[in-house]
Amino acid sequence: MNVLASFDWSYIWEHREVLFEGLKVTLKLAAIGIAGAFAVGLLLGAARAYRIPVISQLAAIYVELIRGTPILVQIFLIAYGLPRASKALQFDFFTVACVALILWGGAFNTENFRAGFEAVPSRYREAAYALGFGPFRTFLNISLPIGGRIALPSSINTYISVFKNTALMTAISVEELTNVARQSIDLDFRTWEMISVLAVTYLTLVWTMSALIRVLERRLALPEEA
Amino acid sequence: MWNAIFSRLPEWVEPVAEYVLQTGLKNTLIIASTSVVLALVVGVVLGTLLTVRFLPVQAAIRLYIEVWRGLPIIVTIFLLYFALPTLADELHFQALSLDTMRAAILGLALWGSAQIAEATRGAVQSIPKEQHEAAAALGFGWVGRHVNVILPQALRRLLPPLVGLSVGVIQNSTLAAIIGVPEVLETAQRSTNRLAVPTVDPATLTIEGGDSHALEIYLGVFVLFFLISFPLTRLAAFLERRLVQ
Repeated sequence: MNVLASFDWSYIWEHREVLFEGLKVTLKLAAIGIAGAFAVGLLLGAARAYRIPVISQLAAIYVELIRGTPILVQIFLIAYGLPRASKALQFDFFTVACVALILWGGAFNTENFRAGFEAVPSRYREAAYALGFGPFRTFLNISLPIGGRIALPSSINTYISVFKNTALMTAISVEELTNVARQSIDLDFRTWEMISVLAVTYLTLVWTMSALIRVLERRLALPEEA
Repeated sequence: MWNAIFSRLPEWVEPVAEYVLQTGLKNTLIIASTSVVLALVVGVVLGTLLTVRFLPVQAAIRLYIEVWRGLPIIVTIFLLYFALPTLADELHFQALSLDTMRAAILGLALWGSAQIAEATRGAVQSIPKEQHEAAAALGFGWVGRHVNVILPQALRRLLPPLVGLSVGVIQNSTLAAIIGVPEVLETAQRSTNRLAVPTVDPATLTIEGGDSHALEIYLGVFVLFFLISFPLTRLAAFLERRLVQ
């Protein structure tokens, strides 16, 4: 097998710095995307679960629109379409990438959190009201800790998808890991070396995150009700 | 009817719509349907084998599922499109040298088959073991038991995730645009690039065009995908509910 024999480890080593820069951009995109998706999901998920008028309906439309369209189309629409509507909507592509990731992850997370909050038995909230808690404190002290735990596994799945979606930003030439690897393939044709780096990096991170779900699921599981 | 609609729209719309719908949508549907069929066949076989208690087979299929589900699909497509051809040269096996269309189809099929395999495993395991025993008592071997008794029942449970996966595959087929397959998104992008170049009218020598119409075109693509996905996700939810009852 010549490909294996000609596999050039030193090529990867020589490119460690650009690859590391790419990984940093990927992780930065993922961190911003995940944090944003958490915030959006939490707020809109609560609005959906507690049927806050107007916001709940708008959130439902937002969720359907995002889930019903490919993220790559959303990226192109934000990157190339919106600036045509107004100069104020012209962002650099890193910002576009962040916005697209937050919008996408937020929509999926809204559903995760909605399901989580709706799964909190209403008698818990009634008990809180009986103890004199107001609606906001009931949410903060009862619905959020319990519903948030129920929503955690599915929302981590969404975060994993947000992380994987950062690779799509190569389409709008953000200098993230996949794009860095592709550019060096175009220059030097050391294809297997670069694709291996990509595969190993993404799989390591994705598998770590999925393992995290299993650990968290066990540790944060709600005590069984008698 | 179409002429009546197009005659009211600006001049640039008709050729763009024609290109995106006739070339782009056709390719999108070819990519999506081929990969869904491939994913279904491979996924059902692997998922059924995953229920066999034989560690080496289980480990191999697990690895297959976790790799193709774990990689971003675009990395899989790059693997198939950029890396595989170098192997084709060395092994003198040109079938490995995939064109853009095949690389996209195969990349989506690998991802989809991993999802289907996982769903099939769950569906097969949800069939009560009495069904296995009854089939065995009737003299069916392992293959006959699964083909004639277990899988027909499991496939019913597989229908909602399969419809859901089809939506995912249709949406992710847009990734083919990144390696240049003229599917819906790529044809849309080419249209905006073409419109962005100003043309000179030879009769009047005035400069025309130079407007990419990117907003209208990408909004059109957005709506197009929504019109395809929305009914399908509703169908998946309906099938899911019917199953529970």
